[in-house]
Amino acid sequence: MFLALREMRHAKARYMLILVIMLLVSFLVLFVTGLAKGLANANISAVENMPAGYFAVQEDAGHIFRRSMLGEQELKVARSVAGEEGATPLSLQMSTITADAGAAGDKGLKADVTFFAVDMNGLLAPSGVKGERITNETKGQVIADEKLERLGVKIGSFITDQSTGKSFQIAGFVKNSSFSHTPVVYMNPQDWLEFRQGTAGGQGAAASFNVIALHITAEQAAELSGKLNHAEVITRQQAVSSIPGYSEEQGSLMMMIVFLFVIAAFVLAVFFYVITIQKTSQFGILKAMGTKMSYLGWSVVGQVMILSAGSLAVSLLLVLGMNMALPASMPFRLEPLTIVGTSLLFIGMSLLGSLVSVIRVAKVDALEAIGRANA
Amino acid sequence: MSAKLIMKQVTKTYGDGAATMSVLNKLNLEVKGGEFVAVLGPSGSGKSTFLSIAGALLTPTSGEVAIDGESLKDKSKGELTRLRLEKIGFMFQSAQLLPYLKVEEQLHYVAKLAKLDAKESRERASYLLKRLGIWERRDHYPEKLSGGEKQRVAIARAWMNKPAILFADEPTASLDYKRGREVVSMIADEVKQEGKAAVMVTHDERMLEWCDRVLRLQDGVLIDM
Repeated sequence: MFLALREMRHAKARYMLILVIMLLVSFLVLFVTGLAKGLANANISAVENMPAGYFAVQEDAGHIFRRSMLGEQELKVARSVAGEEGATPLSLQMSTITADAGAAGDKGLKADVTFFAVDMNGLLAPSGVKGERITNETKGQVIADEKLERLGVKIGSFITDQSTGKSFQIAGFVKNSSFSHTPVVYMNPQDWLEFRQGTAGGQGAAASFNVIALHITAEQAAELSGKLNHAEVITRQQAVSSIPGYSEEQGSLMMMIVFLFVIAAFVLAVFFYVITIQKTSQFGILKAMGTKMSYLGWSVVGQVMILSAGSLAVSLLLVLGMNMALPASMPFRLEPLTIVGTSLLFIGMSLLGSLVSVIRVAKVDALEAIGRANA
Repeated sequence: MSAKLIMKQVTKTYGDGAATMSVLNKLNLEVKGGEFVAVLGPSGSGKSTFLSIAGALLTPTSGEVAIDGESLKDKSKGELTRLRLEKIGFMFQSAQLLPYLKVEEQLHYVAKLAKLDAKESRERASYLLKRLGIWERRDHYPEKLSGGEKQRVAIARAWMNKPAILFADEPTASLDYKRGREVVSMIADEVKQEGKAAVMVTHDERMLEWCDRVLRLQDGVLIDM
């Protein structure tokens, strides 16, 4: 590191420029990663946060919850494998609601929500409720995602479903419960029945629901797959990526992140390659004087490490600072694990980029030193 | 005194088959401690090849080379690097200092490679720099030095690890007559004072005043003059 550090000290401007480029790239990497995670959270947190690892969906529904329709028959089979507690039905309905003017400012409020009907004693019962919990016996009361609160709806106020005209009173709010970018409104099965009878085509809703959430092991999942005739068992990840828009949204952001990593590697690769070529005769001299190849190689790697770690550290501070300045409604989320993973990957890609230069350094012959007039 | 450099029947040929060309042809040379040898020859006479082989940078096609009693035969690349570091001092054309190291650091760097401890390294560096009259310039980068000063730093760097022998490749090429003579006389001084050997390759016949022996490289062998 003797040479690496002194060289950087001597050519400050040159290394500063590359540091700034790396800083911008790593900042963008962290920012887009945070955005991707934040959007994912805003999109499907209700499913992501469920304690169920598997879901049973109708066979021809293409893993999409809303298209799936299951009945008592399937629930019975599921419970025979997963036990009474391990399998619980979930019904859902996307809808538009209005909130009365008093509750949500002067003009009132119109919003898209997703109604979830769940057993309030079961697996999917909302947890961490702010306000009052509801039970299977309460009537006309619901628990909504905090997003509605941010829009101005208060505990105790009423929301009305636009198509059926049914009204529900907000009993409490929960965190991180989104489905397909809409806030989730939880109700109990009894209210659901009434709600569905009000809608067209609600007949026969008595014993049907969309999917069954399963808290089971992989072996049990395989066993259940074999037993179910018109339904299949999918993992939570499969379910999440089938939510309309999720894969497309995450895919395009993921592509940006991958490109940024590749760009970071290439920028470093080109920079160090050019510098290395420029210094070919210097490396020849150093080798002639008795410097080991490994020493010179590590010197290049050391510089890359300093540059990528330095730029990462600064951009991390920037991203964290920006995160605090962002409004809560902005979907941005960076967890420590994501930060560590992204940082390691970034440094790894940088080192990959420096490999070309290390190989180049290894190839320089000490003979270059003799009979050369110019430095 | 013992021989610092022995070259026996050294031959180097390039190419193969019909197109072979012998640059060195059964060349013999022995340089003792305290001896300063100059090798003359026009460009293209194989001076660089001679110096590369003597300096353990290039393996001869046949023949033997020994430095400070140690044969170079069958040594691995790593062992040769080690030997160059410990036994050989190099001076290159136009000094070839590292542009990003200050004068003193140029010396500390080679000491560090040879794992000298810091105190020893500092003492040795200040001794050499003072003797060569560039102590006041120790905190300067090479770009701030004149050509003569750069070569003096190069001399100090070459002697830093107390090598058995010094190889100088046209050390006066980029200097005017007066500066050139100064540098050569300084090399000669070091050789006498420390009882080391030095081999200087040059094409400048005005620089031979301090050399104990002058040889001419001709047709792949060295001829006494």
